[in-house]
Amino acid sequence: MAHQRAHGTRRVWLPAGLLGAFALLVFGRLVQLQVLQHDRYAELANQELISDNTIYAARGSILDRNGNVLAASVDTWDVYVSTRAWKDPAKAGVAAKALAKALNTDVAAIQAKVTGRTGDVIITRDLEYEAGKSLATLNLDGVVLMPNTARVYPEGDLAASVLGFIGQDNTGLAGIEAAENDILQGKPGKAVYERDTVGEPIPLGRYVVDQPQAGRDVVLTIDRYLQQLAEERLAQGMKEHNARGGSITIMDPMTGEILASASQPSFSYSTLDLSDPKQTEFFKNASVANMYEPGSVMKIVTAAAAIDQGLVTPDTTYVDTGVASIYGIELRNWSGEVWGKQTMTGVLQHSINTGAVFMVEKLGQEKFHRYLDAFGFGKPTGIELQGEATGVIRTPDKNWDPPWSPVDLATQAFGQSISVTPIQMISAIAAAINGGNLMRPHLVKATIAADGTRNEIQPEIVDRAISEATSATIRKMMNAVVDPVGGYNPGKPQEYTAGGKSGTANVAIPNGYDDTQIASFVGFAPLDNPRILVLVKLDENQDFLTGTQAAGPIFSKLADDSLHYLNVLPDAPKRVSR
Amino acid sequence: MATINRPFGVRRPIPAPHVRLPGINGWVLAGIVVVGIGAMLPVLQNSLATSQGFDVQRMQAEQARLNGDIQLMEADVARLSSLDRIQRRAVQIGLIPGDDPIFVQVSEPGPAPAKIPSEYLPGPVPNPDSPDSWWRSLLRWVSLRP
Repeated sequence: MAHQRAHGTRRVWLPAGLLGAFALLVFGRLVQLQVLQHDRYAELANQELISDNTIYAARGSILDRNGNVLAASVDTWDVYVSTRAWKDPAKAGVAAKALAKALNTDVAAIQAKVTGRTGDVIITRDLEYEAGKSLATLNLDGVVLMPNTARVYPEGDLAASVLGFIGQDNTGLAGIEAAENDILQGKPGKAVYERDTVGEPIPLGRYVVDQPQAGRDVVLTIDRYLQQLAEERLAQGMKEHNARGGSITIMDPMTGEILASASQPSFSYSTLDLSDPKQTEFFKNASVANMYEPGSVMKIVTAAAAIDQGLVTPDTTYVDTGVASIYGIELRNWSGEVWGKQTMTGVLQHSINTGAVFMVEKLGQEKFHRYLDAFGFGKPTGIELQGEATGVIRTPDKNWDPPWSPVDLATQAFGQSISVTPIQMISAIAAAINGGNLMRPHLVKATIAADGTRNEIQPEIVDRAISEATSATIRKMMNAVVDPVGGYNPGKPQEYTAGGKSGTANVAIPNGYDDTQIASFVGFAPLDNPRILVLVKLDENQDFLTGTQAAGPIFSKLADDSLHYLNVLPDAPKRVSR
Repeated sequence: MATINRPFGVRRPIPAPHVRLPGINGWVLAGIVVVGIGAMLPVLQNSLATSQGFDVQRMQAEQARLNGDIQLMEADVARLSSLDRIQRRAVQIGLIPGDDPIFVQVSEPGPAPAKIPSEYLPGPVPNPDSPDSWWRSLLRWVSLRP
């Protein structure tokens, strides 16, 4: 029997063609999915399978100049609930009950947070480390603990206005925490892992960790004991003189290191509420952000400029008539007294406004403003705190309302028509007494890496304000203020030679002055080798005592106590036993 | 009819059965062993990796725990050495604030300073023979320092 060769028929080719076309279609779709759109679908798959978490780096500590901890970080836990794992009401109920007990809260509160939400829901932040470890041992369904860190301040509210604070994301929001955030924060790491159907990490799944880099410690120039002393004395002074606020700054005049910086009003870490708009003023440090008219303290700068130019000497005399007339405007002494023939030293001793006008008239506007610039007024000092004010100096080259007039120059000589910050003022006085160098005030002394590498921050000379000889002269003149021959000044320390000058100025308001005043005193000790320079400022003291009366005694006691602490030998011989 | 063409009673010697055992080639055996080992190796490696992975995870957890404990202890030390706590403790043991210290000049060196971690101490004092830093030179130039 002969085989007949099968001829293709429609019944064969049609299904074959259809199947072939279908196979091509499937093949094409596979190519589209697995080749052309590979990356997209791989990403979608990864999104479903892969999860990641930020691992916060340990934030560096903030230390005082002697290594005492002012701020440090401790490990805590953020507690999350996976809503996918809590889909089963029975399981969720059991876990919620146990979680509520562990967190000492209500079951309803936890369930309210989770209900209607998807993904991982935060239940609480910064759970204490030990409590978190106990919670982890319970192994509750859907409860995930993620490591975090929290800030602790072992000295309580000490130096709070300098240290500042951080936000929930461990980023500094104010003070040194914000200004040095890049150094303190380090570099966060990341954990990438495979997760199971309920979102839990698969134990043997892919796990990639980008290890966080710990932040550096920041060593401040602040001395915690002097800081405590300054804060106590400021609080006492404000209470005694019923002042609305104030500040005390202690500086090493030779290096510009800030040894203490107290300011009020300030905040307490325990009551800080960032959602309260009234507390936003705590974001700034009053010593660097608030301006004031310094009053007679500015006479030191005027005298330094005039002496440096060789226009006057401490013994140059003039006759005070109690009033200086500038373009028809009469400028009087603060007390209304007439002092007659006076030396320039006498001008500082009695704080005679007309004497300051006498000196600035000899200097002229251009030279005087050049000295103001050399002393650092009208520009930021560069201290490490944020929000520093530049100050305001009325000069003829700008449009002012009201316009500048020569009266401004005269009043600037005794500290009015000029606004400065406390940090600018103390830096300028430091330049006047330290040999003439304007030092950049600074709060950071060093940084320390996790491996112990220490990087010192060196003092920085910003400008040369006056000569060394002028500086020595100013020291003597300021000494004559606090230790007048045959007289008494409440600003004189008991056991150390010193120099100082007070200032009392009305609070400036638009187009005039308020009835309130600011009383201040700036002083240094010891006389020949100044170790500390202190600026005491009381805002709106209701007893209306002058800077000498209200702030002077605070300086004198503070100088004695600070120098005792710094082991500086009293230079009053009767106090030394040999 | 078929006959048996041999004398009766004489049996033809029966040849010993020739059993041809398959030849066990050494190379083949070695190949099998290699393949076997090759097949087992990934299993063993996987097992080892799994075991070590567990160890690594356990040690990482342990490291994290120890780091947490260290931070807690550092915070505790900081709290215990805070000024406020020292003052309270001083009052508890009957100390009172000093008043009007008398400074006595003696030729003997003072007491050794309290020991604090070396990383928190200031850097070493530069050797006088070595060149000074620029800012010290500058301060000396302007006669601020001897």
